[in-house]
Amino acid sequence: MPKERDDSGISRRRFLKGGALAPLALALATAGGASVYLRPGEAHGFVLRPPGAIAARRFLAACVRCGKCAQACPYHAIRLQDRSVGIGTPYIAARQIPCYLCPDLPCVKACPSGALDPKTTEVEKVRMGTAQIVDREGCLSIRGLRCEVCYRQCPLIDQAITLEPRHNPRTGEHTIMEPVVHREKCVGCGVCENACVLPKPVIVVRETVEVQRDSYDF
Amino acid sequence: MGLSRRDFIKACAAAAAFAAAGASVARPEWAEAAEDGITWGKAPCRYCGVGCSVLVGVKGGRIVSTKGDPAGPVNKGLNCIKGYFLSKALYGKDRLTTPLIRKGNRMVEASWDEALDLIAAQYKKAIAEHGPDSVALYGSGQWTIQEGYVASKLMKGGIGTNNLEPNARLCMASAVVAFMNTFGSDEPMGCYDDLDLGDTYVLWGANMAEAHPVLFSRLIDNKLKHPKVKLIDIATRRTRTTKMADEFIAIKPHGDLAALNAIIHVILRDKLYDEAFVAKHVSFKRGKENAPYGLKDKEAFNETPADVKNLSFEEYKALMKPYTPQWAQKVSGIPAAKIEELARVYGDKSRKVNSLWTMGVNQHSRGVWVNNLIYNLHLLTGKICKPGENPLSLTGQPSACGTAREVGTFAHRLPADMVVMNEAHRKKAAGIWGVPAEKIPAKVGLHTVEMFRAIDRGELKCIWIQCTNPFQSLPNLNRVRKAAQSRKAFIVVSDIYPTRSTELADVVLPSASWVEKEGVFGNTERRTQQWFKMVNAPGKSKEDVWQLIEFAKRMGHGALFPYPEKGMHRAIFEEYRKFTLGTGKDLAPYGTYAKVRGLRWPVKANGTETRWRYTEADDEHVAKGEGIKFYKAPNNKVSVWFRPYEPPAEVPDRNYPFWFCTGRLLEHWHTGTMTGRVPELRRAVSQATVELHPEDAKRLGIRNRDQVRITSRRGSIVLTAEIGGRGTPERGSVFTTFFDEKKLVNEICIDAFDPLSKEPDFKKCAVKIQKA
Repeated sequence: MPKERDDSGISRRRFLKGGALAPLALALATAGGASVYLRPGEAHGFVLRPPGAIAARRFLAACVRCGKCAQACPYHAIRLQDRSVGIGTPYIAARQIPCYLCPDLPCVKACPSGALDPKTTEVEKVRMGTAQIVDREGCLSIRGLRCEVCYRQCPLIDQAITLEPRHNPRTGEHTIMEPVVHREKCVGCGVCENACVLPKPVIVVRETVEVQRDSYDF
Repeated sequence: MGLSRRDFIKACAAAAAFAAAGASVARPEWAEAAEDGITWGKAPCRYCGVGCSVLVGVKGGRIVSTKGDPAGPVNKGLNCIKGYFLSKALYGKDRLTTPLIRKGNRMVEASWDEALDLIAAQYKKAIAEHGPDSVALYGSGQWTIQEGYVASKLMKGGIGTNNLEPNARLCMASAVVAFMNTFGSDEPMGCYDDLDLGDTYVLWGANMAEAHPVLFSRLIDNKLKHPKVKLIDIATRRTRTTKMADEFIAIKPHGDLAALNAIIHVILRDKLYDEAFVAKHVSFKRGKENAPYGLKDKEAFNETPADVKNLSFEEYKALMKPYTPQWAQKVSGIPAAKIEELARVYGDKSRKVNSLWTMGVNQHSRGVWVNNLIYNLHLLTGKICKPGENPLSLTGQPSACGTAREVGTFAHRLPADMVVMNEAHRKKAAGIWGVPAEKIPAKVGLHTVEMFRAIDRGELKCIWIQCTNPFQSLPNLNRVRKAAQSRKAFIVVSDIYPTRSTELADVVLPSASWVEKEGVFGNTERRTQQWFKMVNAPGKSKEDVWQLIEFAKRMGHGALFPYPEKGMHRAIFEEYRKFTLGTGKDLAPYGTYAKVRGLRWPVKANGTETRWRYTEADDEHVAKGEGIKFYKAPNNKVSVWFRPYEPPAEVPDRNYPFWFCTGRLLEHWHTGTMTGRVPELRRAVSQATVELHPEDAKRLGIRNRDQVRITSRRGSIVLTAEIGGRGTPERGSVFTTFFDEKKLVNEICIDAFDPLSKEPDFKKCAVKIQKA
């Protein structure tokens, strides 16, 4: 298995270890008549699908695993899963190649099954996921350095990610320019995750958080 | 790792105490503290002109970490993203480690002796056959002060030619000429403290958010603290700076020349000027006009004292009459009402106004004039030499000020504001150098653009390029690259990596970089910063000073450099320092710089720095009771120049309908030879793109990330389109960056230059745009 395909933050070694344990786990599961064994990465529950993918639960049933979306992607960003339950289904490993949001959505057009919703026409309305800063203490911009690479590379700069300047009390005379993701604009393309300069990106695309409605207006 | 600020300061004190007691420690003045086997030392950042101080962590002869230096007054422990990955700039896989000599199309490894003997033989041959003006040395604003000083002494005092130039000609020369013809002395009166103390900042063509990242963070903090602070961004492109500014004023390329004149017109018309200041400090002048653009080879233009006409204030006012806001609106695109408003901002006595500018003003075919006009605003309103109100020309290289300007590695300069045309100056230099005064030629050498044109004409036989990458950074690049490819001159390139310049060289020499050698840099705010050697350079690499001195020995000028092997850098600096003493540019002894995080010159007799020049409040050269005294200017009076509007060299027309502009971005630096070796920065930004206005793009059927062909009268390249990204040029203009060595965008650029500063205009030429 080529290493660059390993997108779920699991090292090859851990994966092999997991693989070796899988038959044992399956045997146990079968013996106990219990639930199907899930690999930890997928147990986490989020796979970044191409633009227009329908809800995760229905996607696995709808996708016919033809790979046409992957063929249509001009950046080779769409890959096909080669293991586990979703084998053959398309996904995007943003850290390797993110979705560059082609305005004409060739992947959606190529999908014969409706797993990528053919009604998707506006790339800015796509919701593949939502970027999140997962390690605030690690983020160089929040530490006061002038990085903000995620912000400047964001295709929806000043909408999906904005910079919120505030006084840096540590130096007393500089500004912390904090990148803030706005979930109502973020399409989840993963360009920020791809661009983050730290070895483990501190901004990653996760499942879109459902907006919890309330009447508090602010 | 995890060395606390406190430990570090303690260690510094210990090291200083050791030094004071004369105890023999390995490196007594080094600020050092070992923890986890890491030794930390101080150095200024290798990249831009801001001059952040960094701590360099060394373990096992290798830099393992760098971090912002909490004791550094400029950055207080912060860095930009380039500075964060600083150590990686030295550890690219393809470092040059051995001298290479061209054999046909191949570069063959050679020893230092072979390479240096060959260079000396070629230089001697050229000098014997064609005279000393047939050879040249092209250096850099990234040279250390020592490197620049040795280069100047060798070329001007040894070989006897003024064909010595720095790449700073491409970035700072216009600012220099205006400092000289206005104040009689180079470099700003103010400093970075003005960014904390002022309340109004007008940016003229400067994308500070990306080009001066840590300084911008400081400026914005002032804005966050004080609601009165206002940031006005005047530019041809909306940038990240615009996003944080209070107001953006779009201006047409070259429109600054008109807008500034109109602002002055309103200040004079509405009597917004400071009458007492003008009467005491200002003389009015008119220079030579109808200037050329340098497009023809050897086109000479100079403003000699005979060309300058003195004006009375009334005559000056009369000359400024036609420059009305209504007229300027047509030329600059700024509404007349906005020009009136800007005049009232500059004229507002309750506001502390600062002007900030960089390449938009300097890389301009009338760059000196625009600099002059900005000074006029400050001189007429008296908003100068006071804490929090000053004009500040920002620089882009770590030692454009320290080396190129202060040491004076230009074709017309000598150290400390002296020039080769002046006999007294030549005598002083010759005295310190220990050479006969006639040795230093009075004839100004070739300026950068002419230097490389002279290769094409076959007039320049040998050129040695150090610490810069001209075959990517010069304008009208096709011409100079073709000349080099046809081997019209013998070309030597000293660098740390293979570049677009080393590929054209006859001899490539591997250099030591940054903390692989000892050195001193000088930043924008006159801050002189020193560092020691901390690691060895890889392979056979040698520092540029060593290369030059070894070459000098072979040329028979070895006696000019009698420095001891140990303490060489100190000896060179101390010799150079003699030029500065008593001139108002006074530097401290070398040992002082080893201890502190830089000092701003003129350094006072008691060893403290000067934050504001020309004012009795801070500058020792102004006596108490004198207030402000421009003691470097003739009769202590600074010049307000009448500078008319003249059009740009090339304007868009039917065939080439777009303006083309080049610039910098935060993630990469200059031609990307260092930042391009940092995988993280390559990951962040991998290639140059071309920015278009969304409406222009729509009209041409170009979408984001489409391939776009850009063609000028000089060259053609294909770039990826970027629409609605970090920058948006105004309608009718496109913008790109010049860091990408795979895209030689300077093939597009016109080699028109300012007639006074000879600085090329990289900011405007005419192009056509097609979907590729």
